[in-house]
Amino acid sequence: MNVWIEKQRYIIDFTISSLMRRKVKNIGLLVLYTLIVFILASTMFFTYAIKREAAFILEGSPEIVVQNLVAGRHDLLPVSYLEEIKSIRGVANVESRLWGYFYDSLVGANYTLMTPPQNQDSHKNQGKTTVVENDNGDPHANHEAHALFEYEGALLESGTLIIGNGVARMRGIGKDDYMPFMAADGQIMNMKIVGKLSSVSELVSSDLILMSEADLRKLFGISPDKVTDAIVTVRNPSEIQTVAGKIKKRIHSARPIIRDEILRTYSSIFNWRGGMMIVIFSAAVLAFVIFAWDKASGLSAGERQEIGILKAVGWETGDVIQMKFWEGAIVSLSAFLGGVILAYIHVFFTGSAIFEPALEGWSNLYPNFTLTPFINAEQLTTLFFLTVIPYTVATIVPTWRAATIDPDSAMRHTGG
Amino acid sequence: MTLLSGIVLLGLLMLHAFTSSQGQEANLLHKAALVKQLRLTDLCLFTEARYTRHLSQADLNTAFQDHPLSMEHFPSGSFTQPNLPGITR
Amino acid sequence: MIELMNVRKVFNAGKPSEFSAVNGVSLHIPENKVTVLKGPSGSGKTTLLSIVGCMSRPSAGRVKLKEREITSLPERFLTDIRRSTFGFIFQQPNLIKGITVLENVMLPAYPLGEKRSHLKARAHRGLSELSLTGKAASKVEWLSGGEAQRVSIVRALINNPSIIIADEPTAHLDTKLSYRFMEIVEKFKAEGKTVIITSHDPLVYESKMIDKVVNLRDGKIEENPT
Repeated sequence: MNVWIEKQRYIIDFTISSLMRRKVKNIGLLVLYTLIVFILASTMFFTYAIKREAAFILEGSPEIVVQNLVAGRHDLLPVSYLEEIKSIRGVANVESRLWGYFYDSLVGANYTLMTPPQNQDSHKNQGKTTVVENDNGDPHANHEAHALFEYEGALLESGTLIIGNGVARMRGIGKDDYMPFMAADGQIMNMKIVGKLSSVSELVSSDLILMSEADLRKLFGISPDKVTDAIVTVRNPSEIQTVAGKIKKRIHSARPIIRDEILRTYSSIFNWRGGMMIVIFSAAVLAFVIFAWDKASGLSAGERQEIGILKAVGWETGDVIQMKFWEGAIVSLSAFLGGVILAYIHVFFTGSAIFEPALEGWSNLYPNFTLTPFINAEQLTTLFFLTVIPYTVATIVPTWRAATIDPDSAMRHTGG
Repeated sequence: MTLLSGIVLLGLLMLHAFTSSQGQEANLLHKAALVKQLRLTDLCLFTEARYTRHLSQADLNTAFQDHPLSMEHFPSGSFTQPNLPGITR
Repeated sequence: MIELMNVRKVFNAGKPSEFSAVNGVSLHIPENKVTVLKGPSGSGKTTLLSIVGCMSRPSAGRVKLKEREITSLPERFLTDIRRSTFGFIFQQPNLIKGITVLENVMLPAYPLGEKRSHLKARAHRGLSELSLTGKAASKVEWLSGGEAQRVSIVRALINNPSIIIADEPTAHLDTKLSYRFMEIVEKFKAEGKTVIITSHDPLVYESKMIDKVVNLRDGKIEENPT
């Protein structure tokens, strides 16, 4: 065993000094290879982390959302539908939601305006008016202590706003500032900002503006008998699908969206198949594969001669193959480790700085969020097998041909 | 050797992943609670259009207003796919 | 020590280009003696040498090493025997470029997995015997022709072989260096090693330390050369 280890050490040493001989070429290859692994691993880390995070935080999203479709487009939902849905068996509760989009021409950003659920709020806000922002003292505190709104003593009432952190950042405004809106009837509504949603929650709340129901109706000119959509709570969670079916049957223009569909949307986001990244990237990968294949699988005349010498001085074919194995393993393992480490730093320490322009797209308001570093061991292993193994194999394969190099070729190549 | 230090560093990062995902649990719970309280349905990832802001709420026609194969207006559209029952993965 | 019985080596068998380099050679190579295979180029010297050194197999006939039949052994055993019994000195130094002299010298011992400190000590001792101590850390490219050949000799000796095989060792050396080489051969003999040299250099085969000269022509042994 000791002999075996010592032998491998010798072979590895020799391999490394062989690699160093063709420094520029091998380092160039390593850098390129690392870059490819880096991009792959970054994408992998980012998408997996965001999917896991989405799955976790959207677990609390509504069981069923009911939209009203008119001519294939969203329309406001008549309040009368709420009672109708409530009468369906298995429905525990029906609530309405009132929300919409607002384009801020000043900064060119889209906001999501919404009314927080009434009943819940009034009862929640009675005593609880705590701070969210800086609760670093005790991260394991009961999350109830993370009050959900930064009320700072003020209730959300008519004429006031609570804004998401992204909105505050975009407009450079904060608590006690005023934000003017032009209502549907042409009136100017000068709203006072009474609070800001926590920056921690930006991933879900960055572009939100919360306002009272009366203000929102006035701003958009929505009549009191209409709401945006309805939220249905079901008595027995296993019946969600059935209840959704019943709603569809009862109200023909309704489109129920169940929680599973929401979760599914986010589990298929950043899909491998879609995305311009993959199109551009696959070209890069292909180019690299060709390059690596050429580099790894071809034996240059120099290498053939070298293998001849090694065999002449007493190396077996097996030793030569082991040497080539180490060569492939060292290069690909270094690239794998380097790429993965850089990717981790990129995604979880620098907030995916390189992807940001692509993710931002044309949106002016982009949330600032740090991802929780969820790592999928399976994906890492897959990446390992996809990078290290093929390269190593590609390096070994041509050595089988080298096995046919007779040891006496070292004597022959000069004739004699 | 550099390889070895690479493996050690990777191990440390995995440890970091483990500990910080534990440490950020409070934040995750906070976000989840906000989602629950405000009845939110989507992540605020792309604010450029209504069908990218609320991916799961987009109506079935919006994402392909003109033609299913038409070029998307927004780069973010290329990261997602429509949430149709028939389409998986 | 080495016994060749009716050995033949045919290249490109079955093709129009078929030719036999060695044609029924029977030969005894005595232990602790210097044997020279002499003959013009193309006479089959190198082929015969590579058969003797377990580098290639004869197409027919048998080879015995120390009373042991080795013709039919599988490659692994042949490599093993080659590594432990033979030291090769080639016409060209055949050193591997880009690595140091010391590494080159140690190369044949790598597959044996010997303890590093021992191997290094042995390599340094070998280098100092051929006054190459100062060159241990140099790259091979920086050596002169004579130095390179001496390095290849040290490499041939690293596994302490009992038989040294040299293929046209003086072909690329000037007279002075050739004499120097023959001195080294004499030292081998004094150490009790068996030496087999191919050469058509009179300086080699007329040297007084040579015990046996075998004349080869067209793959056959000439019994009474004129």
